[in-house]
Amino acid sequence: MAETPVETDDELLLRMRSGDEQAFTALYRRRQGAIYRFALHMSGSAATAEDTIQEVFLALIRDDCGYDPERGTLAGYLFGIARKLVLRHLERRRTDVELDAEADDLVSPDATASADQLAALTRKEGIAALRRAVQTLPQRYREVVVLCDLEEVDYAEAAFILGCPVGTVRSRLHRARALLLEKLNQERRPKGLGELDPARSLI
Amino acid sequence: MTCQEYWNTMPELAGAGEETAAHGQECAACAAALRNHGALAAGLRGVAAEWGRLKAPGRVEARLLAAFRGQAGLASLPPARRWWSPLLAWVTAGVVVGAAFLLFSGRARQPQTPLHTPAGMEAAATDWSAVLPADVTGDAAAGDFIPLPNADRLPQDEDMNVVRVEVPRSAMIALGYSVPADRASERVRADVVMGSDGLARAVRFLDE
Repeated sequence: MAETPVETDDELLLRMRSGDEQAFTALYRRRQGAIYRFALHMSGSAATAEDTIQEVFLALIRDDCGYDPERGTLAGYLFGIARKLVLRHLERRRTDVELDAEADDLVSPDATASADQLAALTRKEGIAALRRAVQTLPQRYREVVVLCDLEEVDYAEAAFILGCPVGTVRSRLHRARALLLEKLNQERRPKGLGELDPARSLI
Repeated sequence: MTCQEYWNTMPELAGAGEETAAHGQECAACAAALRNHGALAAGLRGVAAEWGRLKAPGRVEARLLAAFRGQAGLASLPPARRWWSPLLAWVTAGVVVGAAFLLFSGRARQPQTPLHTPAGMEAAATDWSAVLPADVTGDAAAGDFIPLPNADRLPQDEDMNVVRVEVPRSAMIALGYSVPADRASERVRADVVMGSDGLARAVRFLDE
């Protein structure tokens, strides 16, 4: 029995534009999860994530939403709006000033971490620690980790969403992962106890 | 392959080729770092799996649907999907048929008044000023809200939202307003009170 082909986002959008409510619902349900999680990871606030997802789809409902299929995918467009909204929110809170100013350049690219710490990453508490570490990354590293590692957006799409070259996505991701390892190392062995392995660069 | 070249492949660890693997065997430092990144990747997959089921609350979809209907010119508000809805529909139909029978049999000759006039509904309305947010009650009287027929009254502690939509003026007919035929297709703004279950509770028209 032949399977019914799944409608693309653009096809659903076309039907939605003609007032088809089912198309809107299908499109919303298909895309809302990833965008909500992106906003939640980026903002750390469920209320902000909720506002963001609502604003993103309200923008899509408007006739003059500005989406151009020639420039990128609809998912990328929706992520892009979500990102702008979250960044505006973060700017208002100004929390990133502190975060960006501190950890960014203090850590070498490939810090070491103890074996037991890394083994713990797949356990529940390890995952919680890693999630906390992601949320304390500077914004430009946090967004690539959330997009590429957590939401499995490919590099080209991430580059479109972030408005930067693919190479920048790759380098930020590389650096973000190193920062995560360092943060986990610091959490495990607080500075001042004299037990922290010196972070070292492998390059 | 140098360490630099080796690390240039890091974002694609899953697809590392033979040359990359060979370097990892030769260089202990790179091999150790590779293990670290492998563990980190596994941890990130764990975070993704743990959070992967997270979705926006259902009320967001309800609000967006109301906005979509307003934008698309669909007058209907979200129907109350209750187990007793079909029963209520039958009862309502029975009442309407009975009233029609009385009317045409000449036994009911009183002047006609709509069953659901706005004034009548307002009299039976919940005290909306107690449950609506200040920014809603501030710009217009909360008493302007008309409870929708068959909608539950809003409990005082219920989480609710107000969504502003645009609907054709003809939608006002269902709530007892008289609408001239030549103005039926005009657009009017309305605030819709949505309960936490996503169902509309009340409405007020801003352009009468």
